[in-house]
Amino acid sequence: MLKLLKIISRAGEATAKYPFAPYPVSPGFRGKPELNAGQCIACAACTTACPANALTMSTDSAAGSRTWSLNLGRCIFCGRCEEVCPTHAIILTPEFELAVGKKSDLLQQATFNLAACAECGEPFVAAKEIAYAADLLVQSGLTLTDAQRALLSVCPACKRKATIERDDISQHLSPEVKP
Amino acid sequence: MNGDAHVSNLIVPRDQNGMPVPMTESEHIAGLKAALLKDIQRSAYVYRVDCGGCNGCEIEIFSSITPVFDAERFGIKVVASPRHADILLFTGAVTRAMRMPALRAYQAAPDPKITVSYGACGCSGGIFHDLYCVWGGTDKIVPVDVYIPGCPPTPPATLYGFAMALGLLGQKLHATHHVEGEDERSEVGHPGIPYDIRVEVEREARRLAGYRSGRLISDEFLTELQVGGGMPLDECVKRMLSGEDDPRRTEIITRLWDICAGVAKG
Amino acid sequence: MSQTNQTNVGQGYVDGLRARFPGAVLDESWQTAEQVTVTIKLDSLPDVVEWLYYDQGGWLSVLFGNDERPLNGHFAVYYVLSMEAAVKSWVVVRALVEPQRPEFPAVTPRVPAAVWGEREIRDMYGLVPVGTPDSRRLVLPDDWPDDLHPLRKDSMAYNQRPAPTSDIETYTFVNDATGATRDVPLGPLHITSDEPGHFRLFVDGEDIIDADYRMFYVHRGMEKLAETRMGYDEVPFLSDRVCGICGFTHSVAYSNSVENALGIAVPARAHAIRTVFLEVERLHSHLLNLGLACHFTGFDTGFMQFFRVREKSMTMAELLTGARKTYGMNLIGGVRRDIMKEERTRTLKLVAELRSEVTALVDMLLSTANLHQRTAGVGILDKKVARDYSPVGPLIRASGFQRDVRTLHPFADYANQPFSLQTEEGCDVLSRVLVRVREVYDSFAIIEHALDNLPAGPVLVEGFAYTPHKFALGITEAPRGEDIHWSMTGDNQKLYRWRCRAATYANWPPLRYMLRGNTVSDAPLIVASIDPCYSCTDRVTFIDVKKRTSTTVPYKEVERYGRERKHSPLK
Repeated sequence: MLKLLKIISRAGEATAKYPFAPYPVSPGFRGKPELNAGQCIACAACTTACPANALTMSTDSAAGSRTWSLNLGRCIFCGRCEEVCPTHAIILTPEFELAVGKKSDLLQQATFNLAACAECGEPFVAAKEIAYAADLLVQSGLTLTDAQRALLSVCPACKRKATIERDDISQHLSPEVKP
Repeated sequence: MNGDAHVSNLIVPRDQNGMPVPMTESEHIAGLKAALLKDIQRSAYVYRVDCGGCNGCEIEIFSSITPVFDAERFGIKVVASPRHADILLFTGAVTRAMRMPALRAYQAAPDPKITVSYGACGCSGGIFHDLYCVWGGTDKIVPVDVYIPGCPPTPPATLYGFAMALGLLGQKLHATHHVEGEDERSEVGHPGIPYDIRVEVEREARRLAGYRSGRLISDEFLTELQVGGGMPLDECVKRMLSGEDDPRRTEIITRLWDICAGVAKG
Repeated sequence: MSQTNQTNVGQGYVDGLRARFPGAVLDESWQTAEQVTVTIKLDSLPDVVEWLYYDQGGWLSVLFGNDERPLNGHFAVYYVLSMEAAVKSWVVVRALVEPQRPEFPAVTPRVPAAVWGEREIRDMYGLVPVGTPDSRRLVLPDDWPDDLHPLRKDSMAYNQRPAPTSDIETYTFVNDATGATRDVPLGPLHITSDEPGHFRLFVDGEDIIDADYRMFYVHRGMEKLAETRMGYDEVPFLSDRVCGICGFTHSVAYSNSVENALGIAVPARAHAIRTVFLEVERLHSHLLNLGLACHFTGFDTGFMQFFRVREKSMTMAELLTGARKTYGMNLIGGVRRDIMKEERTRTLKLVAELRSEVTALVDMLLSTANLHQRTAGVGILDKKVARDYSPVGPLIRASGFQRDVRTLHPFADYANQPFSLQTEEGCDVLSRVLVRVREVYDSFAIIEHALDNLPAGPVLVEGFAYTPHKFALGITEAPRGEDIHWSMTGDNQKLYRWRCRAATYANWPPLRYMLRGNTVSDAPLIVASIDPCYSCTDRVTFIDVKKRTSTTVPYKEVERYGRERKHSPLK
């Protein structure tokens, strides 16, 4: 009994002060993911990597927009989104006070504008992603001509068509068979 | 015998596809809840309903009521029977096998009661949200008053959730919806550094030190290079390494130095 | 027939098989230097498994089915044997089942350890184990439709939810009580009345005659998820959540199974870091169990103190991985975080503090007269029962068997770490406590040694070639015992099949034998000594076979009775 009392008294005031004082989480603690929307290029890498489908991307072609969503109710706080984001837009913060009364308060969203293809006019990618790609090409040492910049705003389907025409690939293709 | 669906086996109301519908509560009971909240601020009896979780949540609930976090300071006591509960704490994504036992516990707890949905599985089904043997969260079977996200929620997050449920602390998290602003543009990292070098350094740093420390070290390294301006690479790195007391960081930075030199040559 | 370039460990077992059962072996293929898969004629299945098990020192780690009709037109059954005699290796016995004749000869009558695996194959694939003594459902819930077998490739989508066929439980519990009927009437079941629980204890007064229990309330459908929505590199995060207590151990086992299948050379530093995290997980789990041992012997202050010191192992996990529980640290090819000087120093400090605090508490626990009186000679796991059922972990080590994957089939960096295979001869609850105590000290030693000797180099390897339809085992030692995973890669960077067997799955079947001959008040302690998911048993039904009565009480009430030993819930 005496041994036990000694242990208890040596343990001292073991109780954490939280919530009466802030709780000191470890550096690198995986709390709430936070999107710096300014940095986001709506590439959807995070939504592909998320094992719980907490991160989703939806496209509204009619409105020309793409919306990123994070459902904190599904989030497993693994940090794969932070790991794969090419622009360091999403990071896990130390925030853990996440309880809510209404489920809708768990939803964090960001809407981005889609750019329309310069050839066919269909919206195909976030405008910010095009701007970012252009900046990367410049960082890699290219000086972009106007023609090259314009090509960035062409959708993949139109690019394929243009390449076939430019390189006269049709000479290597079998003649089109008419039904 | 297993699976014979005769009328006496179906108790819970179903929709037209034969799927069970969640329980609802009347307005009268919702009104009683407000009164309950005032009563139980001094002492709240909690009954835990396990709806088929992995037990990670159970572990952290356990930790919350033991000396280091001591939920009992707030009058929170865990009880052994739902009949004595003010608060029902649901963990798990609601597996098919746990649907009826969970509903029985819900029925057994006297009204008014507060239901708390705990952890990612409770809030939404979590990583299991769409599996065949899971209904996908507490609110698929009963009405929920408080959602506590986490996988699992830490004991401080748990205390916060309870304090919020009891009206002792305010809710911090709210829905947000950002809309792209004019001239919003994503910044390229380390614009002064050639692209090839930046990418190789960042990738190698991640392979060496993982996504977190790798990022911190590569950012530091690339910033040094940029700030160094005209200073030769070798001198820049030597300056970084002088006074470095973590041998692992020395190893990593030396390796990144090699990468840079290699890319610059080739 | 395919062979690896290294010397094949266990070739002797295969050669012995060919000699003993001429013509039975159809194919032999090696996945790693220690893992061989032998395809045999279906009819020889019970003979071959029995011979490897009892005559060659094999233990049945897991058995499972696979729908290989898209690959070769058949279903397949796999029986995985851990060979633990002089030559330590893995022999996987595989047999093909005709889709037109969906049945296979049951192994359970020869090797009791096969009972749950064969029931599960029937649930998941509809293949009937002919001659099995137990043909009840195992994992599928009562409200699941008949003839819907989730793991068949063509039966259903992973997210399809059939309407419940029943709102009441229809599972039958069995017992071997002599002189009593098997069907004790229990009355109608109704939503608001006391329902029969997950546990049935068949008693005569206060003495336990037999027990039966229903598990798998937690069956979620994870194996099918791994074949469908998830890519192979997301499954580590799923495997983390098989069990919240030893999730990281599962994640290492899974990662190893794919790394073995694809021949990926994981960097040495990653192996070492995995080892540190694995031992941190062992600490939190063993300290939890020791706390519970205090609790069930009525020593609640000891319980609280163990929980207080255990918090340090949770802090260790948080500072090393970013989370107290569910570490999420594995990817195929390595780990996601490194250990820098700051984290190393803080962890070593916590280990030192923990070691001195645990020593004081353990001293106290072991010197209480109450502990010996309550645990010595209680809940005996008889050696023959153990050999028949292949249980794992401290449970089997406390019955004198040398079974610990870290020593028998070293994984991660265990071959380089200082620890011993801890055994006891008492076969009782006390022996299990003693084994766990010694393993806690081994964990301290391993963490310190690993942190002092972290290899240089990367923590993750990339750029490996992903090849479909490669398969292998990944095996680890969780705090509760061996976790074993088998993965076959599929098309489209998703798995074709993932089989995950948690340690406790192997430990439940022999539990009824450990309960027999003990009293009701000892039951909670005996159950806790196998260190199960402790929330699986919320109600217990007592069936008095002589008086023909039944009583249902909350499990917590039985625990209280176990501690206080007064006011029996049976009166």
